[in-house]
Amino acid sequence: MKASYNWIKEFVDISMPPKELAHTLTMAGFEVEAIEQVDDDTIFDIGITPNRPDCLSIRGIAREISAIIGLPIKDNPVKIDKEEGEGPDIDIDNPDLCPRYCSRIVSGIKTGPSPEWLSKRLESCGIRSTSNIVDITNYILLELGQPMHAFDLDTLSGKKIVVRKAGEVKSFTTLDNEKRPLSKDTLLIWDGEKPVAIAGVMGGQNTEVSEGTVNVLLESAYFNPASVRRTSKLLNLSTESSYRFERGIDLEAVSFALDRAAQMITENTGGQVTAISDKYPDTFKPQKISFSADKVSSVIGVDIEKSFIEKTLVNLGFKIELAEEGMVATPPSFRNDVEKDVDIIEEVARLYGYDKIPSTLPVMQMSPASEHRTQELVKALKSSMVNSGFSEVINYSFMNPDVLDKLNLSSDDKRRNLIYIKNPLRNEDSAMRTSLIPALFNNISLNLNRGEKMLRFFEISRVFLPTDRKLPDEIVQMAAVFHKKKASSIWQSKHDGFYDLKGALENIFAELKLSNVSFIKDSNAAETYLHPGKAGYIMIDNNKAGYIGALHPGVAEAFDIKGDITVAEIYNIDTIINMIPSKITYASLPKYPYVERDAAIVVNDDVTVSDVMKVIHGMESDLIETVNLFDIYKGKPVPEDKKSLAFSIRYRSAERTLTDSEVDQLNSEIIKRLQDNLNVELRS
Amino acid sequence: MLNDLHSIKKSVREEAERAGSLQDIQNLKVKYLGKKGVLTNKLKFLGSIPKEQRPEYGSSLNEIKKYIEALLNKQEDIFKSSELNKSLQTQQIDITIPGYYIPLGHLHPITLVLNEIVSIFISLGFTVEEGPEVELDFYNFEALNFPKDHPARDMQDTFFISDNVVLRTHTSSVQVRTMEKNTPPLRVIAPGKVYRCDADVSHIPMFHQLEGFMVDKHIRMSDLKGVLELFIHRVFGRNTSVRFRPSFFPFTEPSAEIDISCVICKGSGCNVCKGTGWLEILGAGMINPRVYEKAGYDPDLYTGFAFGMGIERVAMLKFSIDDIRLFPENDKRFLEQF
Ligand SMILES: [Zn+2]
Repeated sequence: MKASYNWIKEFVDISMPPKELAHTLTMAGFEVEAIEQVDDDTIFDIGITPNRPDCLSIRGIAREISAIIGLPIKDNPVKIDKEEGEGPDIDIDNPDLCPRYCSRIVSGIKTGPSPEWLSKRLESCGIRSTSNIVDITNYILLELGQPMHAFDLDTLSGKKIVVRKAGEVKSFTTLDNEKRPLSKDTLLIWDGEKPVAIAGVMGGQNTEVSEGTVNVLLESAYFNPASVRRTSKLLNLSTESSYRFERGIDLEAVSFALDRAAQMITENTGGQVTAISDKYPDTFKPQKISFSADKVSSVIGVDIEKSFIEKTLVNLGFKIELAEEGMVATPPSFRNDVEKDVDIIEEVARLYGYDKIPSTLPVMQMSPASEHRTQELVKALKSSMVNSGFSEVINYSFMNPDVLDKLNLSSDDKRRNLIYIKNPLRNEDSAMRTSLIPALFNNISLNLNRGEKMLRFFEISRVFLPTDRKLPDEIVQMAAVFHKKKASSIWQSKHDGFYDLKGALENIFAELKLSNVSFIKDSNAAETYLHPGKAGYIMIDNNKAGYIGALHPGVAEAFDIKGDITVAEIYNIDTIINMIPSKITYASLPKYPYVERDAAIVVNDDVTVSDVMKVIHGMESDLIETVNLFDIYKGKPVPEDKKSLAFSIRYRSAERTLTDSEVDQLNSEIIKRLQDNLNVELRS
Repeated sequence: MLNDLHSIKKSVREEAERAGSLQDIQNLKVKYLGKKGVLTNKLKFLGSIPKEQRPEYGSSLNEIKKYIEALLNKQEDIFKSSELNKSLQTQQIDITIPGYYIPLGHLHPITLVLNEIVSIFISLGFTVEEGPEVELDFYNFEALNFPKDHPARDMQDTFFISDNVVLRTHTSSVQVRTMEKNTPPLRVIAPGKVYRCDADVSHIPMFHQLEGFMVDKHIRMSDLKGVLELFIHRVFGRNTSVRFRPSFFPFTEPSAEIDISCVICKGSGCNVCKGTGWLEILGAGMINPRVYEKAGYDPDLYTGFAFGMGIERVAMLKFSIDDIRLFPENDKRFLEQF
C-alpha cells in the first residue's frame, strides 16, 4: 500500500526522517518496499501482510507507528452540526453477510472537480481523481480504511436500502460498464425494487453519481470477508473496496467513517445531512484472551518484564486486566487477527524487537538421523551419471498433451492418462508429465539450435500417473539421452552412441552392485518411439527395469532433431532400491593361476554376443572364470553376411594349477559346442 | 705366469677405455670371457701348472675374471643407457595434442545447492522427508491454517488439479504429513519441487524449496535464530550479517522473514538489494498451535519452529546468477559452469 509521509504526520507527531521511519516500520513487520519523493512529500510503498487489514489505511499505519514509538494518536474531530430529516430505511436479509450497514443522505450538493490538495493526495497514493463526491469516498477509504459508496439518490427507487442475495438475478452492470454474471448467493445492495450495487465490490451503473447529481445516499458498511472474497473471485474483479472487506475492516468504526465523509462533503460541496441510519443488530463483542507472561518469555527465549508486556499491549490498543493466573488481554475491534495467546506473544516479540532476541541452540535428545533411501539412491545415480559424462537437467513437470502423438504412443498406452491443470499458464504446460523423455528431446533441440554438440543429458524426476485414489502415483524415473557427434573430437570413435549410453548404465549397475542385469530384445520394440532394430529392455533380476534404444528416425523428425540419438529410461527408481544387495560378502582371492585362451569365430550376423556367451557359460565345467569379447570384425575376408567375434576365455581352478592340455581340451570342447549350436566357424 | 695375468688385466683396462660403443664392449667380453676367450684359455691350462703353484694361480685367475666382468658390465651399462637415451630422443610426441576425451558431466546447480544445504542439516541431526507434489488442499493449505476463502491464499498463486487437489505451492505441505506419522521430538527437512501460477522475468512456475521444522517440548524462538544463523554462516560465510524481522505466515506465529547482508555489495546498497543492503533469504516462525491441532498434537505440550527457503534464490546469490529463467532452460553452456 502507498502511504504519504505528510498524511501520516497529521495523525502522529513524528520527528524521524522518512528513511528512519521506513526502517522502523520494516523492523516491526511492515516492510517498506520502496520510498519515493513526490514534490514536498515522501511516499512509502508498504507491504501489508494479509493478517493486518487494520493497516490498509493512513490512520491505521499512523496508529501502529504511535504504538511502536510510544506517541499518542491525534484524530480529526468529526461533528455533524445539523441533522435534517431521517436517514434511509435499511433492511438486511442476511445479517451474517452484512452485520452492519450505516447510511446518511446528503442533499443539495454541487458536484464538480475536487480541490487540488485532495486530488493530489489521492493520486500520490495511487488513486485517480474523478469528481469531488467520488474522490471524498476514496479519501475516506485511504484515510480510515473504510470502503464507502455514494448512490445518486434520485436514481434510487425510494429512500430505501435492502441487503439481499442475487437470487434469480443473473447479471448486473457495474459502474465500469461491465455486465457481470452473478451467482444466486452473490450479496447485492437493492433499493426499493432493483439491485444497485454488488456488496463490497462495486456499485452499479444505474445509480452512479454523475455531473448533475444533487442528492446522494452514502453507504458505509461491513460485509463478511469470505462472502466478498467469493464474489470477487467469481467476478474476477478485485477493487480497493473488496481488497479491504475480504481482509476484514473495523466493525466499530463504520459509523465514524460515514460521519467523516458526510462532513467532508458538506464542507466541500455544501448540502444538508440527514440523521444516521445504523443497522447493527449484533454489536461487536470483544474477545478476551488469557495468557501468561512466563509463557511469553519461554516461547521467545528471553526474559521479558511484565511491565514491558503490559505497556506494549496498551500502546497497541489492548485492554489489560491482571487475573489470578496471568493476564487477560482484550484486543481492540480493529485487530481481528489476534485470537490466541501466540498472537499476543507475536505482538510482544515484534515490539520488543526480533534483533534483541538472543541466538541459542536447542537442547534436544539425540536421535539417529535415518537416511532417506530414495534420495540417497538418487544422489548415487546422479553422481554416477555425471562420472560417465552426462549432465543433469531439471525440466518442468508440465507436459504438452500433443507430444504423446509425436512419440507415437499407442492409444491404450497408460502414459496417455493425463492429469490436467485447471489453470495452466500455457496450453503447452497443461498436463503433468507422464514421461521424462519429451523434455529431454526439447533440451537436445534447444542446444543443437544454439550450436552445441556432444549432448549428454539425464534427468531424475517424478512422473504423475492417475489412480483411483485422490492423488496420483508419483514415480521417480531416470531418463538419459545422448546425441553423439562422431567427429567432435580428434579421438574419433566409430561405434553407435547406443554403446556409450549403455556403458554409462552398466557403470551405474556395477556401482550399485546389481549383478543380475541383462539387455534383451523383445518381439516388440521396447517403445514405439525407438528404432526397432536398435532397442531393447534393461532387465534386472529378470524384471523389465527400463529400456535403451536409438531414437526412431520418424520421431526424431517430429521433434526436429537430427543425428545419432540414444535414449534410456529406468521406469522406477524405488523398485531398484529393493534389488540392491544389502550386504557385500567377500569372496576369497584365488590361490592358483589362471590360463587364458583366445578364440576367434565367424558367425552369422543374426547371432548375438549374448548367444555365444550363453553357450560358453552353459558348459558343464566350473573352470571357466570369465569370457571377454575383445574384437568384432566385419569385412574381408569374412563373408558378407557374417561377422568375426574374438573372445578371450580365462580358465581357473579353485583347487589346483591347470595343465595346458586340460585347458586345450576344454577349449576345443567349447568350440565344438559353438559349432554344433550356432554353426560357427573357426577363424584362423 | 702371474705377470702374464697382470698384463691381461692392464690390456683389458686399456681396451675398455678405448671402447667407443656397446658393440666394442660386447666384443671385449667375447675376447676375454667367451668360450674361446683369453681367460677361458688360461683356465684350460690350469692343469699344466705345477701342483704347488696351482692354488695361488687359480685364485688370481678368478680374481682377474671377476675384475674384468665387473669392469665390462659397468661399461656395458653406461653404453646401454646412453644408447637407450639416444633412441628415446628420436621418439618424440606432441604433448600439446588434447588428451583423450574423457567426458565430464555436471550436476544441475540446483542439485549442487540442495546437496550442500541438505548435508548441513543432516549434520545437525535433521532427517529428510518427502511429500507428494500433487497434493491435497488439506496439507497444502487447510492444515497450515490457510482457510478456504481467506486472502492469505493470495500469497501463493496456485495451480489447481481439482477443487481439493493442487500442485503444492510450498514444501510446508510436508509438515502435517510428517507430524501425522511421527511423535516429537522431530527434526525434519523436506526438499523438493513446488509450483506457483506465475511466470515473468523473476518468476518461474516450478522451482525448488527446502522446508525445515523442529518440534519438541521446549523449543524457543531464540533457538530458531540460533539454528538459522548457524546455517546461513555455513552457506554464505561467517561474515554474513543476518537480520530477523516480523512477517506473516498463517502456519507460524510469531512469524519472521530473514535477511542476509547483500552478498554483492556487502551491505552498502546496490541493484540486487534495491539499495537496502539486505536480501531476503528465508521465511520462518514458531509453528502455529492450530497446525498442531490439525496434526493431532497437544498444542499446550509442544512448541517448535519451521522455516522455508527458495533454492533458486540461494543458488542465484551463491553463483551470482542474474536470471532465474536460466535454471529450467538447461543450456549446456550454463550447466557446464557448475
Ligand atoms: Zn547489494
